[in-house]
Amino acid sequence: MRILLALLLSIPALAQQPAAEQAAGQPGQAAQTPAKPDAKPADAQAPADTKSEAKAESPAPSAEQWLSGSIDFGYRFLTDIRGNFQEYRSVVNLGEGPKLFGVDFTITDPKKRLFDRLDVRALGIGGDPYQTAHVGAHKMGIYDFNFDYSNIALFDAVPSFANPLAPAGFNEQAFDTHRRNLSFSLDLRPGKHIIPYLVFERNSGYGHGIDTWVQDANNEFAVPTLLRDSTNNYRGGVRFEYNRFHVTLEQGGTTFKDDDQSYYNGVNYGDVPPNNKVLGQTVVLYGLGQAYGIHGDSIYSKVLVTANLNDAANFYGQFLFSEPRTDVNFSEMAVGNFASLSSLLLYSGQQNLGTGAANQPHTSASFGWESRLGSRLRFIDSYMIDRSHDAASPLLTQVLLLNATSASPKAFNPLNYTQVVNYNQNQFDVMFDVTSKLTLRGGYRYVWGDATVLAGQLSQTGSLAFGQLQRNVGLAGLTFRPSEKLSLNMDYEGSSSDRIYFRTSLNDYNKARVRAKYQPRASLYFQANFQVLNNQNPAADIRYDFQSRDNSVAVNWMPKAGKVITFMGEYDRSTLNSNISYLGLFLAPMTSSYYDRAHTATSAIDIACPRLPGFKLTVGGSLFIASGTRPSRYYQPLARLLLPLHKNVYWNTEWKYYGFGEQFYLFEGFRTHVFQTGLRVSR
Amino acid sequence: MNAWGAQDKPAAPAAPPEENKPATFVGSQACQMCHEDIFNAFQKNPHEIVDKDKKRGFENNACESCHGPGSKHAESTSAADIRQPAKLKPAETDKICLRCHLNQPTHVGRLNSSHAKNQVSCAACHSIHKNGPNGLVPHKAADVNQLCAQCHTDIWASFQKPYKHRVPEGAMSCVDCHNPHGSFLPRSIQTVNANEPGCFKCHGDKRGPFPFEHAPVRLEGCGACHQPHGSSNPRMLTRPEVRFVCLECHSNLPGPKPPANGTLGTVPPALHDLRSPRFQNCNLCHQKVHGSYVNRDFFK
Repeated sequence: MRILLALLLSIPALAQQPAAEQAAGQPGQAAQTPAKPDAKPADAQAPADTKSEAKAESPAPSAEQWLSGSIDFGYRFLTDIRGNFQEYRSVVNLGEGPKLFGVDFTITDPKKRLFDRLDVRALGIGGDPYQTAHVGAHKMGIYDFNFDYSNIALFDAVPSFANPLAPAGFNEQAFDTHRRNLSFSLDLRPGKHIIPYLVFERNSGYGHGIDTWVQDANNEFAVPTLLRDSTNNYRGGVRFEYNRFHVTLEQGGTTFKDDDQSYYNGVNYGDVPPNNKVLGQTVVLYGLGQAYGIHGDSIYSKVLVTANLNDAANFYGQFLFSEPRTDVNFSEMAVGNFASLSSLLLYSGQQNLGTGAANQPHTSASFGWESRLGSRLRFIDSYMIDRSHDAASPLLTQVLLLNATSASPKAFNPLNYTQVVNYNQNQFDVMFDVTSKLTLRGGYRYVWGDATVLAGQLSQTGSLAFGQLQRNVGLAGLTFRPSEKLSLNMDYEGSSSDRIYFRTSLNDYNKARVRAKYQPRASLYFQANFQVLNNQNPAADIRYDFQSRDNSVAVNWMPKAGKVITFMGEYDRSTLNSNISYLGLFLAPMTSSYYDRAHTATSAIDIACPRLPGFKLTVGGSLFIASGTRPSRYYQPLARLLLPLHKNVYWNTEWKYYGFGEQFYLFEGFRTHVFQTGLRVSR
Repeated sequence: MNAWGAQDKPAAPAAPPEENKPATFVGSQACQMCHEDIFNAFQKNPHEIVDKDKKRGFENNACESCHGPGSKHAESTSAADIRQPAKLKPAETDKICLRCHLNQPTHVGRLNSSHAKNQVSCAACHSIHKNGPNGLVPHKAADVNQLCAQCHTDIWASFQKPYKHRVPEGAMSCVDCHNPHGSFLPRSIQTVNANEPGCFKCHGDKRGPFPFEHAPVRLEGCGACHQPHGSSNPRMLTRPEVRFVCLECHSNLPGPKPPANGTLGTVPPALHDLRSPRFQNCNLCHQKVHGSYVNRDFFK
């Protein structure tokens, strides 16, 4: 990343010389030459013989800065983090030190040699938990190039999430990883209608964590884990874009590998205390070596079509096919004192080897049409089909080492496993403009499908389980714009399902949303949203009762185009109730109740000073207060000051407070002040 | 009859009054005379290419390609004499934009998008005249998020919760996961690798295919267990304790004939003493819950 950053920062320096030469060659020409009234901008797509003429006539490019943008850099300080540091890292994870907070600049080449325009953006460089960069280069009629990079740290060690009684107090479900994404895309424009393109993307994860190694349900042992996976994606295609239709053809492929490893050497009694003996023995792990060697590849194809058949009818369709495949190699060796309750066996080690493959042809298609009948009536009809058929053949062997010289016979566990998912959807919408200010909508959606999946071990239907999906959904809505100042949008859908897959799936549900916006003047607007979802599954052994509501209001006030003050404020009130019966200990029916009542508010007041251009004081932040099953509070107030020091140089400083607390998990709270100060140089 | 007995030629129809004549194109240069700021900004806007579009007859008429012929407006300077796409009915605004943009890959999913169905016009998000960093459409993640949050205030509120994707920090934008023009997946979720949900773009290790798939990942998607916009529960789970996420499905008594309402998922074996904290976080042992390469119980 540092090399990349150096490269990015050197681009302006490399670009500077020719521009300076140009400025020397034509000092102030543009400023002194008034633009002709009929002057046109330079035409990059003009034929070569007219190009120089067009450039000569165009006063615009040389009158402008070839470089514009800003760079923010400085230092971040943290006060002592009070409370749970692991939780702080799981939620905030900002660190101290010198930082490049952000870079954002654009280079416009007046001579349009390699590019017309180059955009560079970067954020959080210097060890922040989220680092992103973007480079975009564009030359009209020749190419579009984009590069994106992100590196996001994922840290998670939330004590309440793991076994709170785990020995040594460490979290058995913790990880400290990074996910990195790279993307290069190049669109070539040899003509106006045919556009070939190439894309390369890479997604990778690396880091370490703690997992558990499970031994025959008697005990589980926390072991360190090294996490490494990557996916490379190569694709290319061509777009044909014409006035009446468009076709995109794309072919791509991926390669995937996952090389996670776990290794342990020591004495590990696991989660069960040593005095809890199994078959008279203390179960203990002395050593573990576990390695995954997962390799996968995939090919995929994509065909997209849009067409306007005539002025009153549009058509679209897409056909997508992918066939990912995974090859599995797995080995594991564990030594210790182990017991198998199911076979009343004591043994000192076990070796597991796994191999196999999984193949998943996945076909999707959707198509539809839109037609207008007169100027008031529109119809949209769309279909979607999705087929995913997994076939897997894992082979697992296990050898138990009874003592130093003997071993149990190998246990083979070959499986032929399949998962089949078929999904279909048809939706028909009608939109009718009652007046120029009122549009009514109505529609119907029918969803159906079936699934075959691996059954649970107690299944009475064999190794596979079958499910079906059948859902009828009615749709309605309206858009009302009585004036330019007021708009109102309402949406409703209600469903009665005959068959669903899961107990918590949408069954008999009603969903409504109202969104209103009122803008009494250009500098002021109000926005209000209301949303409700009610889902019921009254089956005797389920009794699922789910209801969520969300009400929010927002105001934005920017008098005098924000020259002095800008105010933005939002308040949101959300409630959620969910009750469902489940089988507890000894299959006793119990009810799981979850409810959440949350207040969320965010605001920002920007104060500027017309006499001091560039000065800006921002005060605001957000708060979140939830009561219910997991009451928690999270405060993030902030103040930010941008003070001009010199032409194009600003002092940029910020204070932010993070305060997090949970009523039932007091040990997870944290609070800290974060200061950052630095300079912003802009041009 | 005239003096020679011949019938008079029928009189030519009277010329329509000047104000009833249809407006004609006057060219972008005429617009520049009064709207110089807009004209200048437009020169660096991608739509500037319209001024050279001979095929559609827009050459030198970029302004009027959307605003319609402007001769009347040029004479009267009245706003009533010119079409203002941003103030039309959304469907009419879209129709203007889609004359050129319909046949592009971005709009393959348009008819499935809730934006199109809810009459959110192109001009609601795209600033047609502007240039600069937020010209036409913002590109920086923070600016994209601000634009979306203007309407989706409830979603923005979710991002203020402690466990969420890094959207408020500007590390991600809404369009990393959603395609505002529409997608064939619900909620306009982006797709990767042709037809996979966009979640797998960053979480490639969860994609599989696994020899032992966990059915909800394919059947209901990530949203079955996670609240991607933000949650007060760790790992953006839908419930505060892992066991309740799992038990909501894994509570069926297996029977020979599955019920219609919720057929998949079976009861946990009785060895799970749910009173013990050891069993309350199911993925302490069932850690490969997104799918396993080697174990049908997702232990490894």
